[in-house]
Formats: sequence, structure tokens, C-alpha cells
Amino acid sequence: MKRKIESLRKILADFYLVLILIFLYAPILTMMVLSFNTSKSRTQWGGFTLSWYQQMLSDPDILAALSNTLLIAFVSALAACILGTAAAIAINSMKPVSRTIIMGITNIPMLNADIVTGISLMLAFIAFGISLGFKTILIAHITFNIPYVILSVMPKLKQTDKSTYEAALDLGASPLYAFFKVVFPDILPGILSGFLLAFTMSLDDFIITHFTRGAGINTLSTLIYSQVRRGIQPSMYALSSVIFLTVLVLLLIANYRPKEKKPVPGSAPSNGSLGGTGKDPSRLPRQIQKWAMGAAAVFIAASVTWVTWKNYSVSHTEELYVYNWGDYIDDEVVAMFEEETGIKVTYDMFETNEEMYPVIEAGAVTYDVVCPSDYMIQKMIENDMLAEINFENVPNISQINPEYMEMSRSFDPENRYSVPYCWGTVGILYNTKRLEELGVEPPKSWMDLWDPALKGEILMQDSVRDAFMVALKGLGYSMNTIDEKELQQAKDLLIQQKPLVQAYVIDQVRDKMIGGEAAVGVIYSGEMLYIQEEVKNLGLDYSLEYVVPEEGTNLWLDSWVIPKNAQNKENAEKWINFLCRPDIALRNFEYITYSTPNQGAFDLLDPEIQENKAVFPDLDSLENSEVYRYLGDEEEGVYNALWKEVKSR
Amino acid sequence: MSKKLLAGPYLIWMIGFTIIPLALVVYYGLTDRTGAFTLENILAIATAEHAKALWLSLGLSLAATVICLLLAYPLAMILRSRGQGAAGFMVFIFILPMWMNFLLRTLAWQTLLEKSGVINGILSALHLPTQNLINTGGAIILGMVYNFLPFMVLPIYNVLSKIDDNTINAARDLGANSFQTFWYVLLPLSVPGIISGITMVFVPALTTFVISNLLGGSKILLIGNVIEQEFTKGSNWNLGSGLSLVMMVFILISMALLAKYDKNGEGNTF
Amino acid sequence: MNQPLIDLQHISKSFDGAMVLDDLCLTVKENSFVTLLGPSGCGKTTTLRIIGGFESPDQGKVIFDGQDITHLPANKRPLNTVFQKYALFTHMTIAENIAFGLKIKNKSKSYIQDKIKYALKLVNLEGYENRSVDSLSGGQQQRIAIARAIVNEPRLLLLDEPLGALDLKLRQDMQYELIRLKNELGITFIYVTHDQEEALTMSDTIVVMNQGYIQQMGTPESIYNEPENAFVADFIGDSNIVPGIMIRDELVEIFGTRFACVDKGFGNNTPVDVVIRPEDIDLVEPGQGTLSGVVTHLIFKGVHYEMEVTTPDGFEWLVHSTDLFPVGKKVDIHVDPFDIQIMNKPASEDEEAIGVNE
Repeated sequence: MKRKIESLRKILADFYLVLILIFLYAPILTMMVLSFNTSKSRTQWGGFTLSWYQQMLSDPDILAALSNTLLIAFVSALAACILGTAAAIAINSMKPVSRTIIMGITNIPMLNADIVTGISLMLAFIAFGISLGFKTILIAHITFNIPYVILSVMPKLKQTDKSTYEAALDLGASPLYAFFKVVFPDILPGILSGFLLAFTMSLDDFIITHFTRGAGINTLSTLIYSQVRRGIQPSMYALSSVIFLTVLVLLLIANYRPKEKKPVPGSAPSNGSLGGTGKDPSRLPRQIQKWAMGAAAVFIAASVTWVTWKNYSVSHTEELYVYNWGDYIDDEVVAMFEEETGIKVTYDMFETNEEMYPVIEAGAVTYDVVCPSDYMIQKMIENDMLAEINFENVPNISQINPEYMEMSRSFDPENRYSVPYCWGTVGILYNTKRLEELGVEPPKSWMDLWDPALKGEILMQDSVRDAFMVALKGLGYSMNTIDEKELQQAKDLLIQQKPLVQAYVIDQVRDKMIGGEAAVGVIYSGEMLYIQEEVKNLGLDYSLEYVVPEEGTNLWLDSWVIPKNAQNKENAEKWINFLCRPDIALRNFEYITYSTPNQGAFDLLDPEIQENKAVFPDLDSLENSEVYRYLGDEEEGVYNALWKEVKSR
Repeated sequence: MSKKLLAGPYLIWMIGFTIIPLALVVYYGLTDRTGAFTLENILAIATAEHAKALWLSLGLSLAATVICLLLAYPLAMILRSRGQGAAGFMVFIFILPMWMNFLLRTLAWQTLLEKSGVINGILSALHLPTQNLINTGGAIILGMVYNFLPFMVLPIYNVLSKIDDNTINAARDLGANSFQTFWYVLLPLSVPGIISGITMVFVPALTTFVISNLLGGSKILLIGNVIEQEFTKGSNWNLGSGLSLVMMVFILISMALLAKYDKNGEGNTF
Repeated sequence: MNQPLIDLQHISKSFDGAMVLDDLCLTVKENSFVTLLGPSGCGKTTTLRIIGGFESPDQGKVIFDGQDITHLPANKRPLNTVFQKYALFTHMTIAENIAFGLKIKNKSKSYIQDKIKYALKLVNLEGYENRSVDSLSGGQQQRIAIARAIVNEPRLLLLDEPLGALDLKLRQDMQYELIRLKNELGITFIYVTHDQEEALTMSDTIVVMNQGYIQQMGTPESIYNEPENAFVADFIGDSNIVPGIMIRDELVEIFGTRFACVDKGFGNNTPVDVVIRPEDIDLVEPGQGTLSGVVTHLIFKGVHYEMEVTTPDGFEWLVHSTDLFPVGKKVDIHVDPFDIQIMNKPASEDEEAIGVNE
């Protein structure tokens, strides 16, 4: 009877373990499946493909991020091991009082919130005048890695018999020799598990890297984060799957043990230590294990060196730092520019104008050419942050349709600072079938987004100005209003809408709508070509339509500007000129599908696309529409505060 | 050569990259844009939206911590009962997901939880009503539990595995039944691990901004989101620092409360 | 009356296919001090854990005072255990440790207080109530472990190598203490050790075990003086074990020399093992003994000298004597007939393990 209860208990325990394993590995499995999905969408299965694995190997961004990640993890773990082990030895020989103090300091990065560690380091780097980049990430990672090493080594040091070290000295060894021959082997397992931990933590870190990284430096984490809003490239899933499987295989090798007799219960010592570095003769012969681990280390080191070498082998005297929206250029275009001019481009991405601004303002990273939107350009001009463009160096400016130069005057009155790159409208994307099911008419007005029948079916834009634009336009006000009453009304309206909203997102609207997640979404017109094509490719049983509400909308324009503190102004002008070349502009249009102001490129397009009103709306039909204007710091603060109120409701 | 000198580089490093940066946060938190002393950034926590974000963070992270504890303790007990070999491997299984990027893991949950996601797909295949899972407080808690569960399991397992089998046998021998053995012996002995686990889960959960962004659809604003936005979008570093200080105070208070129970500081995660 | 307190009937136990106990039978009388003695892995601890209820046997029964307790969980058994490394509850004070079993049984506060006082007095640790476990030395912890067990007034106390972690002097003190306790309390002790000296000092009955079988069971004297096989002889004290041939009753031939002995019934011209304790060998001047040899080693041991005498056949005899014979001296060996112990030769290794079951 007792045995029955025992076996029942074991079955229950096994069941529980399996449940937990499913919980832990379901997302990982999902990701692996997605890495074979032809469609970029995370919710639609478009068929099996291996192309993402090929793409992964040829995508310079991914390879650079991978090599950065591994390099930073490796170097920071190594540095942490050296500093940490030395410190642990010193701490071990200290008096209790000083030991307590130092261990207290050691615990700070462990217990401190990552976000505080991140911002405190960022503030310090900027205060010390250290420009953000590879080295600042490295310093940050070393900082949070050291405690892991110390905490792994300390227990081993405590176990180590002091007299063995003294015995070595007694036998004539120098202190250094004695340390490496006697103490070191004893604490090596601690150092190794510290290294492994540090490596893992560094690999998995996002938050601290997010705050301490600089221009052109991405780790896998930050690269993924920058892709999140726009939609993750499935090659990312492919890469992660490869990394995961590699590690899994390595761990299986390290832990493989032939069938063995279990030790007699009760006589078995149970001192479980993480990583199982214990001496267990029944494991694979140590030689093979060592060989496998060594091979893995060599493989990682070699691939890191190879990628790094590939990236930096070509020496560039000329450089250019570009700061652009995520996924807002064809990578080929960058490569062509580099090849034609011999200028080495360091390319970096931002998600919102608001995020870009403080980076330029702080000057911790100096970019040569940036692509903000209308109102932000106005703000930068007013705050004297932009340099005048020397149009003699940009002859291709003639290709830009003068209508858009005219439009630019609303934020750049004399056309001295900016060159239009893309333009478009903001409108409502709707799922015809879904609306039919819900019994809702296709939207015509912004106020249709307040229809209670659409509860949980609305995707709103997660940025201050766009969200307020929807409400203000819906109320019939200007979207550039600074009237307090109007703003309060708009705020109340947005709060009223919040229960109906499924999520506040930015570029994710596209993928979520394709996936059929929501019925309506506020979206930028430039996404339409891609969306319509994807719907066709996936053979979806619904169609997605775009409408500009009758109250008018935000007419936006993203333009290239050159910050005052640019180091390579002439290269920046070469860049702008290059992008204005019709063939290049066409290439870019085909990739990003946002309306181009480039007349030369437009003329080269299919008539069918030229006629597509979602992509190239008649400017006349947009008479109620406005371009965002910069409203001043104070008004911006008001907008931000109101928006925070909406969000926190 | 004195061994103590070996701590030199480490101390310089920690002062330069831990103490001074933290001092800067304090400085920014207590000054305004012009550099003049002010308490405004600290008091800003009292405004409705900040206070709400803080309470929401506290609530969600507390829930996540409790769930982690409830999931992890039985798990650690099972691992302990499996002996060293099997358990060592199991512990690896818990570390392994960390090699899959944190953001991707969380994003994968989006795929699972979405309206047309995997879970709802299974539900509708079983002719069950689909559930609204994504963009809720529950989804955020799930994300926290998923990401931080290993940090609860490992310290508890470490402490439990160090308890001699005979200590449990002794309790049984003295007449305690399974529950009494657990309540009077196992649980009190594992307190250091529990404390360490709670800290390791509660602090990152309280301060996260990524999980609430990805799984909360940006509808739910946590204190971490507010701080992050002040630094990256709102560009009011003083306010961000001030709110960070408030958050740190909350963390310190909760840790001081916990420290009362962990007299010996035995609970180390690794 | 005289029903055994513990009766183990045909107990078998294996772990993952490795047989640890095979058809073990053992009875323990009330009020006795029984020691299970054997090398590690012989099954003695497993036997104890089966009695304690921490392992259940694959086959066989555990009878306690006429009652089958084989399937009774540990917490319901009327006996207590003192564990190898004490297994004290480190999160409790000494008093809380001792009170643990009583609290579980819902005894009254005053009863518990009295019991704590009494138990601490018994183990000579009065006034230690509020100390923490960590502040105690090994010997003190040991005594607390005993106190914690005996306050429950068990009829049987199981002790699993309780002195193993203590140093020599402390161990000897504790041995006397345990004997005293046993006599004062009138509890039956089953004691597990691999230390033969401890077993000889303390027990009324010794059970020598090897590879899951009982090799011999008896009083310390009979175990020492009349080992029934080479394993017991070798394990208990030092001994010279030499091959011999039983010529006939009361006459054995060793290395071609005939010795008179007192054993009978082995048949004629049977190969046997002969055990002679080192202190039973008398060294005499050449010509006066039965076997001659040369002293090849000499060590002063305090009470006696330990010598090695090599006989022409190459065998090195271990000899304990208070008389000194320097290295190189020719001597003769003399053994009295009743000091020669004859044992059957095992036919195989398996048989050697099985030995002789009583």
C-alpha cells in the first residue's frame, strides 16, 4: 500500500515536471516553428521554408549583432573573472568588518534594478564625457558580471584548505606559483561556473545594454527590440534557434552519463551545485568532455573573430553616421553607397522622434545625417541643432517634386535644412470581413473609433501626437492646437476610448492586422502596399482596406537633416544626394513602400501603383489635413502629461 | 605582496561604475533642469498617474512573486527528491531558456496568447470559447512568472538540496507526519532560499518595462515604463531619476523587511 | 514473556538490482544492547533504516513486540533514531529540538519543560536550553541528538554510527556515557558501527555482517575468541589466518608442523583455515616451541611489543608480547591448543559471504 502511494506521488511529480517543462519550452518551440514560416507574420502560417536560415547568414546587421553579443559576453565574462577572482581572494583574507562592507558593495548591482543600473551608468558615461558605444556596453556588462564571479568563487575559497597553500610555500614555491599550482585548481570550478553565469547574463541582458549602447552598436537584444515594433525578421528566430540548439547539444554532451547504479539513498551526499561541476566518475570521460567544450570555445572564438574581421578588415578613412527609422531603407542601397563612395556607413535606428531627439541633443553620439519628421525638424531648427545643407553638393534635389518642397516650408520655412525622403498620411486600416461579422459599417470618420461595438478590436498608435491627432481631428480641432480646453476634451475622449482599445502599438499594427488580431487600426499609409501584397500571398479570406477619415489627418513628411555637431558634413550631403537619385529612390520605394516625393522615381513606377490612392493620394483630397508643427517645450510637456494620464488610466 | 591589494582594481571599478553613477542618479533626482535643488521630482510620485503606475507595479510584481513561489517550491522539492544527477540536469533545463533571447521568449508568448494565437487556436479546435489573454494584467504577470521563475527555483533548490535527508528522517522519527515535517522543519530551513528567491523575482518584476510593453499592449503603464519613457522619450532625466529614487526606496524597504528573516545570509542563488 | 522486541523475518532489500540484504533474520530481546558491525556497504545501516521505517523491505516482515510494523510509516513507530550526523534542526534552539517530538504529540507545556530539564541533565548539558545548535561542539550535538530521542521514551533506540564523527578521546567518553544511559533508562539499543573496538566495548550482543548476510552473532567474547569464519576473524581484532589441514580431531597441520587443538568434527585430512590471535602466540627460545622463525619487525606499542616473525615457509606471523625479542633473533613459536581456532574453508567467494547463519 505504501508503495502504491509512493508511485502515485512519483507520477504526480512527473506530471508536474512535464507541465513546468511545457510552460518553459512552449515559447521556445513556437519560435523554432516560426523560423520555418514563409510568412513574416507571427500568426499566419505561410508554408515551410529554410530561407530565413540563409538570410540569417547573409544579413550583416544580424551577424554584426551576433558577433558583438558574443564578443561582449566573452570579454566581459573574462574581465569579470579576473577582477572578481582577485577581489574574492582579497576579500577572503580581510577582517569581517571590511569584508561586510565590500560584500555590501558587491551586492549592489545584483540587487539593484536593471533599469537603475542602466540609467545610472548612462548618466555617468555622459557626465564623464565617454561617448556611448561598444566600450560603454562592455564596461556596463563587466560591472554587473563581477558580482556573479565573486559570489561563485567565494564559497570555493572558503572550502579551500589554507594549509595547502602554506604547504606549497613551505616546499619552496613562490606565492604566485603556489597560487596557480595549489589554490587556483581548487577554486577553478567556482571561477568556471562564475564565467558561465556571467556569460549567460551578458547574453540575455537587454535593459542595461538598451541604456548604455551608442551609434551603430547593436547586440542581439537591442537589434530585436528595434525590430519589435516594425515586426521581427524571422531570421532572428532562425538565429536564436541555432544558438539554442548549439547550447542544448553542448549541455547534453557535458551532462551525458551512461546508465549507472544509483547510490544507496541515505548514504548519498547531496550537495547540489549549479552546473554540476562536481567530480563524477560516471560521466563521459573527462577527456571527451574537455575536448567538446574546448571545441565549442574555439568555434565561438573563431566565428567572433571571423565576423569582426569581416566587418573591420576594409579600412575606411571616410565615415558616415546615419540615424534613421527602423527598417526605413533597403540594405542594398547602403551597400551601394559604400561601394560607390568608399565611405564606411555606420547605420543606426530609432523608433520615435521623441526617442531620437534626446540622443542628438545629448551629443553622446554624433550622427552626421538624421531622418526625423516634420515637427521634430522644426523643433531642431528652433533649438539651433541643425546645420544648413549646402545644396551645391546635392544636385539631385531637382528630382524632388516641388510640391513637397512647398509642403516642407511649414516646418522649414526657407528650405534650408531638410530634404524630403518619404511622405504619407495616417488613416484607418480595417478588416472588411471582421467588420461585417461585428455588424459595423466601414469607418469614415475618426469618431468611428469610439463605436462600442469595436470593443477590443481597435489598435491605436502609441505616440503622443498621433494619438491626440485622432481625438483632436475627431473633435474637429486642429491637431496643432495649444488650447487647453480642446486638449482636455481630447484627453477625456481618449480615456473614454481606452476600454475599447486592444493595444497601443506603433509599427506592429501592420502584422497584427494581417494576422486578423483586430478589426481596425490606426496606421501609416506607407504600409499599404506591403499589407495588400501579403494578404494576397497568404491567401487570406479577408481584405484590409485603408481610409483617410473625412475630418482630415496628419500629412507627414520625413526628411533628411544634418545635425550641427556632425563630423562628416560633406559625406552627409553625398548621402542625401545619393538617395535623391531616381534609381536609388525607386529601389528604396520598392523596399519600404512609403510614398516617395521623388518625381524621377515616381515616373519610373508601374501605372497601377501610380494610381493607387492609398499610396499616392491626391494632395487636393487632403485639404483638411495638416502637417505637425513643433509647439514648444512647454506645450510638449502638456501633451506628454496628458498622454501619461490617458495611459495610466 | 599583500593579498588585500588584489581588491584594489575591483574597488576602483565599483566606485567608478557603481557608486558614482548611483550618486549621479541621486543628484539628478534632487535637482531640476537648471541644477537647482528641488524635491519636485520625488514628490511627482504623488501625482495620480505616477502613483497609479507604482501601485500597479507593486500589485503585479507581488502577484508574480507569489505565483513564482507557489510554482517553484514544489518543483524544488521534486528536484531535491530526484537525487543529484537527475536534479543537476533539471537545473540546466531551467537555465537553458536563458540562451534564447529574453525579448524573443517574451515575444513568443505574444504569439501564444494572441486572439488568433496558438492557445486560442487550440481552444477553438476543442470547441471551447476563445479567451482574451493578451494585453491584460494577467498576461504581464505570466510574462514575469515565465521570465523570473528560474530565479525562484534555483535558490530554493540550492537550500533544499543542502538539507540532510536525515534531518527530515529525524522529524519523521520523532512522530511528525508529512505535513508537520514540511511545516516545522523543511519550510523554516528553506527560508533563506525563499527570501533570496523573492528578492530575485520581485525586484526585476517591479521595475520591468519590457514585459509590460510586449504583453500589455502598452495599455498598462508600470513605473518602469514611466521611468524608461522619461529617459528615452520624455527627455526629462531629472524626473526619471527622481522616480527611480522612489522606486529604489521601495525596493530597499522590502529588502529590509525580508532581511529580518534571513539572519545568516545563507540564501545564495548560485 | 521473553517475546523478542524486534523480530526481522526474512528481510530482503535491493537498490536498483544490487542486493543489499538477502533473507536476513534477526531477533533482538528487550533491554539488550545489540550492535550491528561490519564494513561499509554490508547492509547494517539499511537494516537499521528498515527498522526505523525509512526504507521498506522488498520482502519480509518487521515485527515489533509481536506486532507487524512493516508498513507503518516512521512517524507512527514506537521507536526513535539517533542519526549519524545528528540531524539536529539548525533553525531551532536546543530546547526546541528536544521538545519537537513531544510537541507533535501535544504534550502539555509543563510536561515538556520538565522533560527538557530531565533530558539535558541526563546528557550532562544543563542550562543549554537556549543555545543554538551551531554553538555546540560535535560531542555536545551528539548528546542533544540522544536527548531529543529519549525524551519520547521509546522502547527501542536506534543509533546509526553516532560516534563516527567524534575524535578518539571523546568517542571513548561517549561510549561510557551511552552504556550508563542505557542502564539508567532501561531502553533497548540497536547500534550500528564499523568500529570493532566500539562494538566489543559496549554491546551485549554483536551481529557481524558482510555483503548483506549475518556472518556471526554472539557475545563480544565469543565473537572475538571463536570467530566462525575468516571474515569475522579478520574483521574483529588482528589475527593470523593460515591454511591448514585437519589431520584428525584435535590435531591440525600448519606448514608441515602439527599442532594440538581442541576442535573436533571436521573429518580427517580436511583443508581448513586456522586462526591464531597475535596475543595467543608465545615466543620462546629456539628449540622450545613448535615452529621456528626469525623476528623481522619490531614496534613498541605501549602496552606490548608488536613483532613479526617470519617462518621458513615465508609466512609472517603477527605477535603481541610484553617480552622483547630484537630484530634478527631466532625464536620458536608456541601456541596453546585452546588458542587455536579452526574454521571450514569456504568453497567459493559466495559461500564466504554467506558464512554461517546461526
